[in-house]
Order: sequence, then C-alpha cells, then structure tokens
Amino acid sequence: MNASSKRKTIDTILKIVLAGIVFTLPLWMTSPTYLQILILLFFYAYLTTCWNLVGGFAGVLPLGHSAYVGIGAYTSTVLFMTYGLSPWLGMFVGGILAAIVGLIIGIPTLKLRGAYFALSTMAFGEGVRVLVENTMKLGPFEINGPRGISVPLKMGTPLENLINYQFVDKLPYYYIILILLCIAIFVTWYVSRIRPGYYIIAGGEEPEAAQALGINVARYKEMFMALSCFLTAFAGTFYAQLNLYFFPKGILSLDFSFELAFIALIGGRGTIAGPVIGALLLRPVGEFSRIYLSAVLPGLHLVIYGLILILVMLFQPRGLVEPLTRFYNWILDKLSGERKEVKA
Amino acid sequence: MDVIIQAIINGVMSGSYYGLAALGLTLVFGVIKVINFAHGSLLMVGMFTAYWIVMLTGWNPYAALFLVVPMLFIFGYALQGIVIKPILEAQREVREPVEVIIVTTGVWYILDNLALMSFGAEYRVVQTSMSGQIFMLGDYIFPKAQTYGLITTIVTSGLLLWFLKYTRMGKSIRAASLDRDAASLMGINQYRVYNIAFGIGAAIAGIVGCVLIPFYYVFPSVGVVFDVKCFIIVVLGGLGSIPGALIGGLIIGLIESIFAQYMASTWTELIVYVVFLAVLFIRPAGLFGEKRDW
Repeated sequence: MNASSKRKTIDTILKIVLAGIVFTLPLWMTSPTYLQILILLFFYAYLTTCWNLVGGFAGVLPLGHSAYVGIGAYTSTVLFMTYGLSPWLGMFVGGILAAIVGLIIGIPTLKLRGAYFALSTMAFGEGVRVLVENTMKLGPFEINGPRGISVPLKMGTPLENLINYQFVDKLPYYYIILILLCIAIFVTWYVSRIRPGYYIIAGGEEPEAAQALGINVARYKEMFMALSCFLTAFAGTFYAQLNLYFFPKGILSLDFSFELAFIALIGGRGTIAGPVIGALLLRPVGEFSRIYLSAVLPGLHLVIYGLILILVMLFQPRGLVEPLTRFYNWILDKLSGERKEVKA
Repeated sequence: MDVIIQAIINGVMSGSYYGLAALGLTLVFGVIKVINFAHGSLLMVGMFTAYWIVMLTGWNPYAALFLVVPMLFIFGYALQGIVIKPILEAQREVREPVEVIIVTTGVWYILDNLALMSFGAEYRVVQTSMSGQIFMLGDYIFPKAQTYGLITTIVTSGLLLWFLKYTRMGKSIRAASLDRDAASLMGINQYRVYNIAFGIGAAIAGIVGCVLIPFYYVFPSVGVVFDVKCFIIVVLGGLGSIPGALIGGLIIGLIESIFAQYMASTWTELIVYVVFLAVLFIRPAGLFGEKRDW
C-alpha cells in the first residue's frame, strides 16, 4: 500500500471517528446545560450553513436572515395552534413561504452591489420585526404582537410527541438538529458540485466576467436565495419547538442576523466546513464568557467577542477554516508518514 | 391644518439631525466604499464626550464643540489607521471588502460595551440653558435646541461641501473616491485620505453629539437607535452622496412626524421601512446615488 492510499484510509478513519463522537456525544455528556449548549451550537451551525448558500457562494452579505427564521417559527406554530397541524408539516409550509418571500426580496435586491444588498436585507429584517410586533391577529391566526407566542404543550404517548415535535427530554432535539445540519451540509456539498453551483461561485467572485460568459448570475443567485430561505425556516420551527416560546425581539432581532454573518466569516465564508467551524469556535466563547464574565462586569463578554472578530479578520481574513485545514493535513501527513517509516 | 404644519416643522427639525448623523456615514462610504457599522458607536462616543465636557465644565454645548470636534477627529483618524487600514491594505484588489463590515461591527461591540462598563446602563440627561426652551413664530413652536441643530446642520454641510470642493485635501478625497488607483498614481496617499475622511466622519458624529445632548438621552446603546436609521437614510439618498444624506434625513423625519398624527408611532417605523424598500425597488441607486456604486 502506498502512502497516498494510506493517507486516504487514515482520512476516512479520522472522519468516521469524528462522526461517531458527534453522534454519541450526549451519551457521555449528560449534563443538561452542556446538552443545551451543544444543541444551540448545532442550531447556529445549521443556520449559518443555510446562510452560507447565499452569503458565502453568491458573494453577497445578507443581514436579514432572522426574518426567515421568524417566518418558519410563526408559520408552523400558528398552524399547529389553529388547525392542530403537525409542526413537521408546518415546517415545510413555513419553508415554502420563506422561499417565496426570499424571492420577492431577492429579485430586486440581488442585482444590487454588496453594500446596497446588505443594507436592504437588514432593513427588510427590521421591517418584518416591526410588522410582527404591531400585529395582534392575522385572520384566524394569533400573532400576539410583541408578547410572542407560547407553543401549547401537548404531551402524550411517544408517538404523539413525535408527531407534535415536542419532547420531555432534550436528547431528541439534539439528534433532530444534528440530522438537519447533516442535510444542510449535504445540500451545500451537492449544489457546489453541480452546474448552478459553479455558476454562482463564478458570479459571486467576478459578476462581470461570469455575465460575459453568458451566465444569468442574478437568476442563479435567486435560486440559491430561495433554497437558503427554505432551509432557514426549518430552523425557526426547530427553535419554536425547542423553547416552546418565542417573541419578535428575540427571534427576529438584528443581533441574530449579524451573528450568522460573524460565524460564517470567522469560520470561512463560502466553504462547506466554515460555518460549522465558526459555530464551534464562536458559540462556546460567547456562551462561557457570558456565563462567567457578565456577573463580574456586564458588557465585558461582548468586548471580548468584538476583539475576537477584529483579530480574526486582521490575521485570518479568509476565516479559520484555512489554518485548520492545514493543521488537519499536517496530522494526516504525520500519521501516514510515520507508518511509511515503520514499513521501510 | 395647524397640526400638520407643526408636524412638518417638527419633521424638518428631527430630519435635520438625522441627516447630520448620516453625513459622516455617507462620507466614509463614498471614500472607502464600505459601510461603517461602528458609525452609531461613534455617535455614542460623540454624545458621551459632549455630555462629560458639558457636565464637568458647565459650558454651553455649542462651546463644547471646539473640544469635542478635534477629539473625535483624532479618535476617528486613529481608529481607521489602527484597525481598518490593515484590512484595506490586505484586500487591496477587492472593491468592497466585507471584512471591514465585520471589523467595524467588532469596534461597535467594543465601544458600546466599554461605555456600558464605564458609565453604566442608565439614561443620562444634561440640563443646559436651551433645554426645554422654545421660540414662537406665530402659533408655531420651534424648540430652541432643535432650531440650533437645524442651523448647525446647514452650516456643517456647507462647510463640508466647501472643504471637498475647494481645498487640496478635499480634492484628494474626491479623487480617491472616484478611483483610488488613479488617485494613488497621481501621488495621493490613499491611506492618509482614508484616515482623514474617517476622522471627518467621526468629527461630524461629535457635532451631532453636541447638538443632541440638550434634548436627547445619552446611554451606551444610543448608537443603535441611530444606526439603522442612518443606514436607511444613506441608501435612500444614495450611498456616498452628501445632499442625498440631508434630503434622506428630511424624508425620514417628515414621514415619522406626519404619519405620527394619524397612527401609533410603532407603525410609522414600519412606514419608513416600506418607503425605503419601495425606493430601492424603483430606483436602487437612491435619490442621488451614482450607478457605479450599485
């Protein structure tokens, strides 16, 4: 066996071990606090992966993705409350609705340059928040304005719980978000390997050059926008079912949209692993510094957060995925290289 | 009818300080082609500086201008030179480096929370000789502090336009904003131009601070109140356009005060967003924007 195939085997083994660890993590990490942090970590990784479809590949900076999370959460929840529709189905209704809204916003704005797109999506996100805060009732649906919605608790047999997307334990939520994340990563991987994926990456980097080659850049950007919004809405339903309560200032806030952009840029924008790496690094820093430092000096954790953003952008502007990939390759080289020496 | 005229007067007043607040943002965008997300925080720094100078010395806020403006200019100059310049240098070939957005957002978090750590979260007010004073013209009320604000806006924008049009540095700034490479070839040090543009942007934020403190609360997250509003104003007026920022500010101020006569103020906020998105759909460059920027 030569070194390169050896390297490939080790690569596969390492990846399988890593996946095994991730899937069995709750078995040894039984503390509910850590489980909650892990769930939120994957939640953000999932959302950022969805964001990355537009923000990463299409080369624009959407700052209003909270709107689509909100559409997902509100749609599935009001359908559940009014008609008793299972949130699993409501999730798809919310996804389709979010994709349509995303297209309506995307068609005029995706033609604009970066700054205009970023600011108009931001204004759109804020507009949706204000709209929801001012709406008490929409037709037969209770929106409750700024007070938000509590998802009615309906506990029953395990099967009913599964249909109602409500679980006593946090464990099922861990696996749901993990599976969602795997789906989103697979979708990203898949679309970056088909024609529209190439088109959009080309369009994101050099719009003029891509257009000159006859690519309808705007149309592919719209496609990716719709896909991203569709998947983003799923996270809204997940958030609603996980917390069983949500309100506009939380789920539709600007901070939320910003956080996704930060995670993506820190991790590595436009890469498949970037969003996950970004969430893996940024979320625990945010959570732990908030838990331990806000009692000492309120605001300190956000100063640290801001410093991390600046330092990473100054020294690793392509995101942390680059040095980490190099590190991983170095490990592979070491492992496969050592084996070779033993053989010789 | 009287109510409407009074609403228009109030709208022009608030629109003038919105426009002034957006002026620095549009100037920085015009030159660096990047949105400065720390702009609201610069406003906050300007307000706190003005607040402390007025509190400690008991001066009139307009006398404090002579201290606040140079201080904020130096602050902005240093901020651009230390934090943003390295990114611009590294991303020289990119026209609109998004990294700058993240970095300025980092600056925003740091400044806002440093203010929170040092001064606490309470809302502060300062009593000045003009607080609560009014002029009467016929039956209409002109709050004194806001009227001075309107005059300050006119004077500041006049000075800025004069500076950009007739001074050597102003011409360099305009040249760099038209084409930074060509400007460099003509012997303009583009990074120094950026530093100065950023410094002027911050200095204008200092002026806004002095204008606002007689009638506005000062608190660490006050910048966020203005942030989104300023973004909307500059896009509405056209990114990088100085008259656009002023007129955009007036439009937002007028919408807010006129519609507030007919509906709850929470709805006027929504109308601002709707008008903004409508303008963007119909005329993406904003009212005075140039096509090459979008």
